Amino acid sequence: MVRTTPLKFFMYLLASIIVTLSVFPIAWIVIASFKTMHQVFQMPPQLVFEPTFDNYRRLLFGGQLMNAFFNSLVISILTVTVSLVLGIPTAYSLSVLKNRVGRNVSFWILSVRMAPAFAVIIPYFILMYYLKLIDTIWAVIVTYLTFAIPFQTWLLKITFEELPRELEEAALIDGATKSSALFRIILPNAAPMIASASILTFVLAWNEFLMAFILTSRDARTVPVLITALSGTHKLDWPIMAAITTVSMIPAFAFITFVQRYLIKGLTMGAVK
Amino acid sequence: MKLSRRALLGALGGLIGGVAVGAAVGWTAKPEAPARTVTVTGAERTVTQYVTAPPREKAAITIIAFAQGFAWPELFGSDGTIETDLLKKFEEREAVDIAIEWGDEWAVREKVASDVTARVGKYDIVLVGSDGAVQAYGYAGYLEPLDEYFTKYPQEYFDQNDVYKSFLDANRIEGTLYALPYYSFGPGVIYRRDLFERYDAELPKDNWSTDDLEVALEKISEGLKRDGLTDTYALTMRAGPGEEPTLDLAGFIYAYAGYPAWFEGGAIWPSEIKQNKAKPILDSSDFEAGFRAFTDWVKRFGPPGASTHTWVDMMNLYAQGKAAVLMPSAINGYAALGITQDENVKRYTKFMLTPFGPGRKRINSYWTFSLGINKFSKNKEAAWRVLTYLTGRDSMEAFAERTMWPNVTMRSVLYSYPLIKKYGIEEIELNERSVVENPAIYFPYISELDLFMDKVGTMASDVVAGSKTVENALSELQKWATDLMSSRGYYT
Amino acid sequence: MREEYRLLLPAVAVLALLVAVPTFYLFYTSFLNWFLRDPEGPTFGGLNNYIRLIQSGDFRISLVVTLIFSAASVSISLLIGLGLALLFSEKLRGRNIMRTLLVMPIVLPPVVVGFTWKFILSSEVGIIGAYFMRLIGLGDISLLGDPTLALASVIMADIWGKMPLPFLIFLAGIAAIPPIYYESAMIDGASRWHTFKSITLPHLHKPLIVALILRTIDAFNSFDVIFVMTKGGPGMATHTLPMLGWKVGFYYFDIGMASAIGVLLLLLVIAVSMPLVRRISR
Repeated sequence: MVRTTPLKFFMYLLASIIVTLSVFPIAWIVIASFKTMHQVFQMPPQLVFEPTFDNYRRLLFGGQLMNAFFNSLVISILTVTVSLVLGIPTAYSLSVLKNRVGRNVSFWILSVRMAPAFAVIIPYFILMYYLKLIDTIWAVIVTYLTFAIPFQTWLLKITFEELPRELEEAALIDGATKSSALFRIILPNAAPMIASASILTFVLAWNEFLMAFILTSRDARTVPVLITALSGTHKLDWPIMAAITTVSMIPAFAFITFVQRYLIKGLTMGAVK
Repeated sequence: MKLSRRALLGALGGLIGGVAVGAAVGWTAKPEAPARTVTVTGAERTVTQYVTAPPREKAAITIIAFAQGFAWPELFGSDGTIETDLLKKFEEREAVDIAIEWGDEWAVREKVASDVTARVGKYDIVLVGSDGAVQAYGYAGYLEPLDEYFTKYPQEYFDQNDVYKSFLDANRIEGTLYALPYYSFGPGVIYRRDLFERYDAELPKDNWSTDDLEVALEKISEGLKRDGLTDTYALTMRAGPGEEPTLDLAGFIYAYAGYPAWFEGGAIWPSEIKQNKAKPILDSSDFEAGFRAFTDWVKRFGPPGASTHTWVDMMNLYAQGKAAVLMPSAINGYAALGITQDENVKRYTKFMLTPFGPGRKRINSYWTFSLGINKFSKNKEAAWRVLTYLTGRDSMEAFAERTMWPNVTMRSVLYSYPLIKKYGIEEIELNERSVVENPAIYFPYISELDLFMDKVGTMASDVVAGSKTVENALSELQKWATDLMSSRGYYT
Repeated sequence: MREEYRLLLPAVAVLALLVAVPTFYLFYTSFLNWFLRDPEGPTFGGLNNYIRLIQSGDFRISLVVTLIFSAASVSISLLIGLGLALLFSEKLRGRNIMRTLLVMPIVLPPVVVGFTWKFILSSEVGIIGAYFMRLIGLGDISLLGDPTLALASVIMADIWGKMPLPFLIFLAGIAAIPPIYYESAMIDGASRWHTFKSITLPHLHKPLIVALILRTIDAFNSFDVIFVMTKGGPGMATHTLPMLGWKVGFYYFDIGMASAIGVLLLLLVIAVSMPLVRRISR
């Protein structure tokens, strides 16, 4: 498409403004992680100040961060993986089943995600307690699956539905089996949505607080639980919270940057001539 | 092209899957890590000694508390996660194995509630506050009565006679003791002498009244405005929604009415209320007096955001030198003193007893950070020993030494050298008087206290924010309270 | 058909297992009178909790706040997400890094989102709430202390934190549109607006609905951000249903009533999303 230069310029400007607004609080957090409690409450806020590495030092030598980080990482990755493994075939079959069963099951799966957290913590706690899974990552992963699977299933379902049927049919005609058609044709074409859904699932699992808090004590603590425990209500240690947050943004940042390249327009084969 | 994209996708899938599987395998194969990380503090070194006698059977005690890093850092480290040598010595001596879990106040509540609902008894020692938790858990039968433990299991850590009686009273439900206090506070006024003097306001004195204080606040407030100091305020009090302000607010009600004007006849125990069928009097002029004074003062003399302020905000404001008076939970002023970097705050902060209200009682505010034993605990005797140690003299001394706050439970610690040196004997005496002369119980000690604290506090926040008038707020409160007490069967 | 049903089985079985106990527990306890404050255990109460709830002023206020909060947060975040997705689907220089930055807010735990904005908007120490407001002469107005502004602030914080969700969904949706449509449109000389209306938008119909549903579920259940920023205040200006449920359960210790609130909230969300789901299941 031919674009006139003023329009392009305007788009760049708009984009920059919005990105700045979106990013400024995050920049604020990163800056705060290098301040002391006193510096952080200064009015007017200081942009030029003497940085301190105390907060990071406390974090890295405290010993808890590594453990929490590891837990969060494993939990998030496993949640994404398992929900993808379970979600893809489900999404596929639901995209094909156009009957009443299909519709009802679809809705039921979605409704699973609708339960308010505060209402289900206690039953999950009791359940995990009797299964002796309290303070293990498995308890956390298992509860996260209740929102990850519906999430992945639905996003993939609508993506599969939008793909032209001719793609699959062409492959079948060429002699492929249904499952190889799934893997070789459909999935690559659904890559953008798989990427988006995975990012979101990873992030949501990484960030979840209430379940992680109730179901863990010390061994299986995750990063959000650690954040509130360390900075808590007592001193509102903003710099420490900022430091943990900054560190915890790194894996997510890496994951997103890597997966992002699949969100490219025109990835679809467009094999329909 | 087709091939490379598929390969990339496959590689990605393989990578994720591989990491996941690897992590899962690594995780399960990980050797059972000890529940606590053992480190060495300071210059001390741990020395392993081989003894021929078999080790004693250790009772495992689990504690749940908030204020990680702040409470007992001499035992659990400044981040609350280590096992210091001091702690280990204690564990050896008493044959216990202590595990402590932290969270913030709200989080701890959630865990305790889950624990009680499931009757799991996971936590042997539970942190309770005297502003609702002690009452709720005590009446529910979740806490172990402690009086006879003193005689049945004598110990040398916690001396009942050294502790100020009111702090123990705060943890008594109809006479039975349910928890022991760690750090605790009574009412007081923390103020900036320099700001008082600058604006010609009369300094706080022993037998001053709330009228005196009001006049002073007016002078300071006007003076600040004249000087164009728009970010400094005469008064900092907390008026956030929920139970946040109610401890202080109840103190105002007590001072202005002269008694806890919540139920007819000033009844505060369930038995009293039931016997006398004492209805709530939340829209009475007695209750209104203190309620109005509190909200009025916050609106007139406090910062604009006060309707959402918690004690943390109150403390921070004072610490930055932006307030002249902090009251009546003076401990927050001492906390501010501890973190401030402002020279004026450090030099000119002083403490005085709270003023007398029209009811001829001083404005009150009491709270104890106390610990109780879970009724479902399986190691009550061992828990008792841990409990008395955590609230005992050594811990109190360590607390005083570290924080330099005079908010300790024991007389011998209050009158210890470090504190006297820092504040001078006069201020120490004043602090003692604030605890001895004011009653710890100045609001109803009923099982539904939590609900009252929450409702009243939220109404105050509403009034301060300007969305309700005092009259409307109180008539709503009255209706709510009457319905609640009736539905809970008090008047049948 | 058989193969499709077989593919469904694993996920459905897993979910059913995981969800059965809590769902049953939730509905069952909502019919009990169960106060943790009472040493006697729960007793059967029938519809007691529901009746008390409907009559309670707190419930009505929380419901209204929840509806306003959700409507505003969902609609605005969707609009912004869509606009940004369209913008960043074009070939702009530095688009990759910009997109990554835009997605960052959702990486933060809601607790941190709440604290960050509470701090920034604070009337005493916030760069916006204190510094900027005083700069433009509005120092008397407290962004978090005024009931209406507090509600606006929490809505804004929620939008900021959750906007990446529709953003990513729309990006994927746009990426899935076969370029052949655009090519033929270009050949036909269609205008930008016409292309958007007749090609892009129809293809985004399903992602839009799904994003709408997901955001609605999140918004109705939003707790952490508001709790940390204002604790439901000032007064009850930002007091939503999840806050009420949490407070009744963990603070008032009225487990039966809390479950009833949970059930009502669940039914509310289902009621709102059901018509939406129907639209894409045609």
